[in-house]
Amino acid sequence: MIYALPSISNTKSGFDALALLAKSSSSLKFSDLEVDFKNCSFFAANMAAVLGAVLGRIELAFNTVRIVNVPEKVQTILRKNEFLKGFDFETLSDSNGTTLPFRRIQLDDTTRFDGYIRRHVRGKGIPIMSEALSSVFKRKLYEVFENAAIHSNSEMGVCCCGQYFPNKQCLDITIADAGIGIRQNVRRHLHNNDISSLDALRWALQEGHSTKTGPHPGGLGLQFLKEFIQKNGGRIRIASRLGYYIFYRGNETFSKLAADLPGTAVTISINTADTTEYCLNSEVSADEIF
Amino acid sequence: MTMDEPVIANVATIVGGGLCVSSEDGQKVHDKIIPLLREGRKVALSFEGVETVISAFLNAAVGQLYGEFPEDRIRELLTVRDISTDDIAIMKRVVENAKRYFANKQTYDEAWKGVVGDDEE
Repeated sequence: MIYALPSISNTKSGFDALALLAKSSSSLKFSDLEVDFKNCSFFAANMAAVLGAVLGRIELAFNTVRIVNVPEKVQTILRKNEFLKGFDFETLSDSNGTTLPFRRIQLDDTTRFDGYIRRHVRGKGIPIMSEALSSVFKRKLYEVFENAAIHSNSEMGVCCCGQYFPNKQCLDITIADAGIGIRQNVRRHLHNNDISSLDALRWALQEGHSTKTGPHPGGLGLQFLKEFIQKNGGRIRIASRLGYYIFYRGNETFSKLAADLPGTAVTISINTADTTEYCLNSEVSADEIF
Repeated sequence: MTMDEPVIANVATIVGGGLCVSSEDGQKVHDKIIPLLREGRKVALSFEGVETVISAFLNAAVGQLYGEFPEDRIRELLTVRDISTDDIAIMKRVVENAKRYFANKQTYDEAWKGVVGDDEE
């Protein structure tokens, strides 16, 4: 099968396009997929995580995936962030140090995820964030990874990738899995198979809502992420199955994707010039917690 | 040591490092302290050497205790020490969330059970 991929931006249309690729190849087994980039004139670097998750799932169905006709400009982006390394393209040196490279990490490999965060979220060309911002941001990334580890059942683990834009003082990072998605978790949890992807997203984004089975309460990770992004002035994008969500400046927007995107992808865009004091300054003392 | 002196449970020692970012590791802490609490021993959870804590870890380590013991029993037996103000704030939210969760476990999701979606393929 040959699939012509359009440009992939860091917007809903980028997720739509990758969802359509996933849908077109969903029944492919023991076969070949050639992803033709001839119509792809732009590719947002962090979205390589979503493409990686989509293709990883296809490969796990015993298909061979090839990537062809990648325009030079797009090649530069995807060779610098090492996405194309898995498809026999040579890596280009990231001389500006602005890339958070593409990695696929298994869900039980917290240590490797930790190494990725420590090595790439601060340092190189990304030294601008304050210590407090860097620390709270890392914590949010661990929360997103742990959400995937607990809920996704993603056989291929997660893919992560990011890009720092010095001029815009903005960092985009995406963590994508190819698991069962938020809808399936919520349907199981509520014993309601009629819940749509959008309602499942709405449910999951409420404080205290968690589909974790067993005796643990949960449902604070996404709430904490929203509170942080609200202060920071950044943006959250979540795509899961047919649901798409944006949180920006206190506004939440839910919309339907063009097709079923397997799993869940979370993109966090942060304002790296943020000087907010992130010390949570708890008004309670350690004696008053319980 | 008398029964009144708390047993110090060092979180970083139980987890094997300062990174407290998984629910699985939180469960280890829970499983380590639960027999002591059941015996009525006082436990002080020490966060010395802990570098990063997330809510998923604390939900498993501490949050689930509210499904196993009454609030006042936890208050009587469990204390926390060597913890940063940031982590106190997270822990407090986890505890409040756990109290709400176990108080409303039956009714928490009822409102959503009848929701019918219309957007799927």
